[in-house]
Amino acid sequence: MSEIDEVLQEFIIESNENLDELDRSFVALEANPGDQQRVGAIFRAIHTIKGTSGFLGCTRLEALTHAGEEVLSRVRDGKLSLTPQITTDLLTMVDGVRAILRRLETTGVEGTEDFAEQIVRLKAIVSPAATAPTTHVAPAAPVAASKDDHPAEVHAVEAHEGSSVVDGTVRVDVALLDKLMNLVGELVLARNQIIQVGAIAGDATLIGASQRLNLITSELQEGVMKTRMRPIGSVWNKYPRIVRDLSVLCGKSVRLEMIGTETEVDRSLLDAIKDPLVHMLRNSVDHGIETPEARAAKGKAPTGVLALRAYHEGGKVNIELTDDGQGIDPERIRAKALERGVVSAERIGRMTEREITNLVFAPGFSTAETVSNISGRGVGMDVVKTNIERIGGTVELSSRHGHGTTLKVKIPLTLAIIPALVVHLGSERYAIPQVNLLELVRLEAAQARTAIADVHGTPVLRLRGDLLPLVHLRTVLDEPKPAVESEVVNVVILQADDRPFGLIVDGVSDTEEIVVKPLSRELKTVTTFAGATIMGDGRVALILDVVGVAQRANVLTESRERAVSLASKGTGLDQQNGAKDALLLLTRGANERLALPLDQVSRLEEFARGSVEQAGDNQVVQYRGEILPLISLDAVLGPCPTGAEDDGESPLQVVVFSQGGRSVGLVVGRILDIVQDSIVVKPTGKRHGVSGTAVIDGRVTQLLDVRTALGDLNDAA
Amino acid sequence: MKILIVDDSKAMRIIVKRTLTSAGYGGYLMVEATNGKEALDAIKASQPDFVLSDWNMPEMSGIELLTALRANDIKVPFGFVTSETTAEMRERAKDGGALFLLGKPFTPETMGEALKSILTPAA
Repeated sequence: MSEIDEVLQEFIIESNENLDELDRSFVALEANPGDQQRVGAIFRAIHTIKGTSGFLGCTRLEALTHAGEEVLSRVRDGKLSLTPQITTDLLTMVDGVRAILRRLETTGVEGTEDFAEQIVRLKAIVSPAATAPTTHVAPAAPVAASKDDHPAEVHAVEAHEGSSVVDGTVRVDVALLDKLMNLVGELVLARNQIIQVGAIAGDATLIGASQRLNLITSELQEGVMKTRMRPIGSVWNKYPRIVRDLSVLCGKSVRLEMIGTETEVDRSLLDAIKDPLVHMLRNSVDHGIETPEARAAKGKAPTGVLALRAYHEGGKVNIELTDDGQGIDPERIRAKALERGVVSAERIGRMTEREITNLVFAPGFSTAETVSNISGRGVGMDVVKTNIERIGGTVELSSRHGHGTTLKVKIPLTLAIIPALVVHLGSERYAIPQVNLLELVRLEAAQARTAIADVHGTPVLRLRGDLLPLVHLRTVLDEPKPAVESEVVNVVILQADDRPFGLIVDGVSDTEEIVVKPLSRELKTVTTFAGATIMGDGRVALILDVVGVAQRANVLTESRERAVSLASKGTGLDQQNGAKDALLLLTRGANERLALPLDQVSRLEEFARGSVEQAGDNQVVQYRGEILPLISLDAVLGPCPTGAEDDGESPLQVVVFSQGGRSVGLVVGRILDIVQDSIVVKPTGKRHGVSGTAVIDGRVTQLLDVRTALGDLNDAA
Repeated sequence: MKILIVDDSKAMRIIVKRTLTSAGYGGYLMVEATNGKEALDAIKASQPDFVLSDWNMPEMSGIELLTALRANDIKVPFGFVTSETTAEMRERAKDGGALFLLGKPFTPETMGEALKSILTPAA
């Protein structure tokens, strides 16, 4: 590195650091104009840049900062007080400085842009007489809002020249840190191996040594992880400025409060949440907080408060963004979601208010009536959600209409070493990240028969009254069936995208700290796997990507309901001819077969005949603390032509539908199966309650028109 | 044979060191401090032969440092390098006991000129 390069690099690093601080100081100063210390700090930062740029021959930078310094020195000396206009001019100057620094960093020279317009404006502040703009002023070069990266994140390790005064910190190349983290990962693997060998060998000395190794490795791992941590404030630094600019643009008055800026986060994760957080801030200012007039009319303080809070909890980093704005109107979301076809009318009827508010994260959803240039930058909240989920995080929204909105983001502390559950399938082992794990269920043969509803097309597990879709890991991975099938069923209950499902594996081994190794580029497209790791015995195990597995098995749906987790596409059958649909297959009478779309089903239940009570003309059962009206298929379709097959003893099979908070139960003959099939629907005359017929599983099957049926049911209720 | 360079900007400290070297003072040990407070501690601990300080710094400015030194009866030779050079500042520097106030940007020649009567060059 040549001599001038070293000064230049140092200059760029330290100037950028100062500028980040500057944005914050300016915003703080607007709120508290008398803060002399802030004025001093701002002046000093610009002053230092000006002084140094003289040495580096950066005349344009020097001219620009000189003009800014002139204004600032008057503010410092109390000869000039800051107005919003002056602040904006000064901030534009800061942006100009940034632009020059960026050019210096990439090209080594300061470029030809002279920022004449900014300089003229700053000069006009100092001596208003000279306001007449000179004619040769170049058209205003719009200065990009400083959203760019901190340019000088990667520094070479500084060799200390001579003996310098105690310097408590050292800048370290990030690549070196990554390498260290990698090595520690290898060490963790070697440690696991040694522990395993020690346990097998049973040698006391070896066990003792391996325990020490274990302790040291854990501490080293923690230490190296800490070196990769940066306070979240280093990213938040830019936010006061962004919020200030936005609120000026939207004609709003917003105060940003930041709590927990010292909360430490792995730097790779920090990079990943940077943009989603900015997007969330934009949304809050643009859509959340009302104009001062609107706020006053509601009896709120004219200045809206945006609170950004970060803290560690349960091994995760929590980030909350709360505004005291207008909140989200569930009715508007409902209307929009229907209009844009995000969910079906039928499904939205079964959603809670909270679930509806969270529809803003659904792909293709945007409530802005007009796409503004603030929030409408082509990315919606779904992108925010996707980006946060990509790093193993979650985002949740809660809102009180009229009172404000809270967005809660949870991200892991680090991605490199994670706790995982090791499961096996045949002779292979797979690791499942513990963040996705809800619980483990082991079903003995007898239990399995009652708890698992069906094992052909779409098996379903009954778990404490909920129905969970079941996925065979074997099927997902296209592994052949073993010769002897085990009597015991091991189910790992996982959470993918807020949706629980069960994964059937051959066995569950243990939880272990695993080191995530990325898959080679050729395998990156295989969404079923998130990476690979090396186990204690030196063999490789693949890490399952839970969302990928769920997608492949088709158990994810757009809706966020927890109760019904059965695959569906969310629209009526009639529009879906030829498409794959999950259908619930049932019988009536001796041999009449019926089918209805599974996504319209809320639950499948069995009721003992003795529990049916009479209420007026209706039959009802007590169900989940409420009264569930029952209606038979005969009431919908008319008497069964083939005669009843009712033995009068076995429990009633009931399909429960819910709509608008009300439920009704349809008593059917037998529930046969759930099939996933491409069906061709043939319309049949005008038979009440039937939308058509199709051939399913080689048999003619009538498709129940649930809407008509439900209408009847509602009447009954 | 030690010069203490006081400046909150690291880039500027590097520039000052280079200029001193070019001006023929490379033989001196150059130590650094980032503000007046640090400098005061360093001076008390290691008695440099000369202090070359910036004016405007956080925590404790150059002129405050000079005042503190003299109040502690430390008579180390002291010079300012600063980009602001108003008459009032020159006055205060002189009154405080500074030997010179060198404006930025300086060159090895102006630096050498300012130092020649105070320190013997040593390459």
